[in-house]
Amino acid sequence: MANPLNLPMVPRALRNVVSRPATRRYPAEVRTPFEGARGKIEFDVSTCNYCMLCARRCPAAAITVNREERTWAIEHLRCIACNVCVEVCAKKSLAMSNEPRKPHTPADSRDGHRPGHEEWHGEAPDAAVTAARGSGA
Amino acid sequence: MKKTIIPFGPQHPVLPEPLVLDLILDDEKVIDAVPTIGYIHRGLEMMVERVEYTEMGFVVERICGICSFMHGMGYAVSLESIMNVEVPERAKWLRLIWAEISRVQSHLLWLGLGADAFGFENLFMHCWRMREEVLDIFEKTTGGRIIHSVNRIGGVKRDVSDSELAAILARLQELAKAFEETARIFASDPSIAHRLGGVGVLSAADALETAAVGPMARASGIRTDTRLYGANLYDQIEFEPVVETAGDCLARAVVRMREIPQSIDIVRQAIEKMPKGEGLPLENKPRGNPVGETFTRLEQPRGEVLYYVKANGTKYLERFRARTPTFANIPAMIKLVKGCDLADVPNIILTIDPCISCTER
Ligand code: SF4
Ligand code: SF4
Repeated sequence: MANPLNLPMVPRALRNVVSRPATRRYPAEVRTPFEGARGKIEFDVSTCNYCMLCARRCPAAAITVNREERTWAIEHLRCIACNVCVEVCAKKSLAMSNEPRKPHTPADSRDGHRPGHEEWHGEAPDAAVTAARGSGA
Repeated sequence: MKKTIIPFGPQHPVLPEPLVLDLILDDEKVIDAVPTIGYIHRGLEMMVERVEYTEMGFVVERICGICSFMHGMGYAVSLESIMNVEVPERAKWLRLIWAEISRVQSHLLWLGLGADAFGFENLFMHCWRMREEVLDIFEKTTGGRIIHSVNRIGGVKRDVSDSELAAILARLQELAKAFEETARIFASDPSIAHRLGGVGVLSAADALETAAVGPMARASGIRTDTRLYGANLYDQIEFEPVVETAGDCLARAVVRMREIPQSIDIVRQAIEKMPKGEGLPLENKPRGNPVGETFTRLEQPRGEVLYYVKANGTKYLERFRARTPTFANIPAMIKLVKGCDLADVPNIILTIDPCISCTER
């Protein structure tokens, strides 16, 4: 019969009773993200030349670039934070921030909103081109 | 005598893995077990036909959430050998270090799950708290906790500075010290000895016959470890595979427990031997499309994994196949389950460290 007083877990359990919890009260208490963590893609519309390389190389097809209309859009919920687009962008328009994406709730998709969708409209490259197209924007 | 058939899984309180097993019982004794593989088949291997080989690495990484680093590495190593890319020295060492850290992480996870399976909740939390620190190391160095995405064909994407490596090693060694207490609990707690000791004994002959791999085979006294073949710089590391002879559930737990400090020691050796300095090359980009085929073997935390890659000179691979360690261990598991008590089935299944999403891909 095993020795009933052989309880090796007891000291550890007692220490757990008096020590601070190892967990945090998320979301009230949020840890500062680590420096190198891959969180969320950030886009700088002023430097992008709409070469579409990021959209072509993104394994998750999260990026849509329209060269004619000069729009750049990302679905953050599709993005797998692999960093490929940041690596391929020759213009350094993309960056990976260490802030994690925020969770979404069903309320976010009401009234036609697309949670995680972000879109930028660039300046027209050349006023003459725009005028010739007659868009006037 | 009438037999009872009890479906074990896909949803079962003891393990989150959707293992599908029909247990054929005679009273309380299991007389046969029929596994069904494919409940969570995702067709990842088939995806090579639609996903370019450069992007397939990210899919392969997602075969499993625990061995994700090793899957990414195995895919990269396979493609490198087909395309004859020489990986820079430092990148190889970094891969080895990350691979060993993921072994620590995986074994801590398993020890927790194992403790949970035999009802030792306190120990479960304790193991997972330690694992959290290892995941923090991953997040700091690779950018991801579970999916690391640092392996590319030809090298790795991130460097870890020498001072950071020293800090990581110090952290891991502290962890190894803290782990000693947990190891002592596992080894001496009477309830654990009662639940695991002498249960599900796999003899060395049976382990060979069923071709068990990894800790499962090592716990039955078989000195097998893919790392011994020396690929991926393991030839420069001094280590002796952890072998236990009892072959029962406790021995399998002890093998994994002893592998944690061993992996930390391998990390130490790697940090000592790797080329030092900032700005060393980390990646040699491959040129063109791959042609040829290859086999790659790696020692994952659960045992030997085997990759087969066949490329035909286009952007899409012709065939990709991964034979994961759990798949190799299923025959041994079935053998153990036959003849045991129904109440011991969860423990036996857990001690093979099943990863069903790996197995069914
Ligand atoms: S973000 Fe970079 S890669 Fe993408 S379209 Fe703009 S310039 Fe090209
Ligand atoms: S991080 Fe990866 S998945 Fe996300 S947008 Fe960039 S390339 Fe696509």
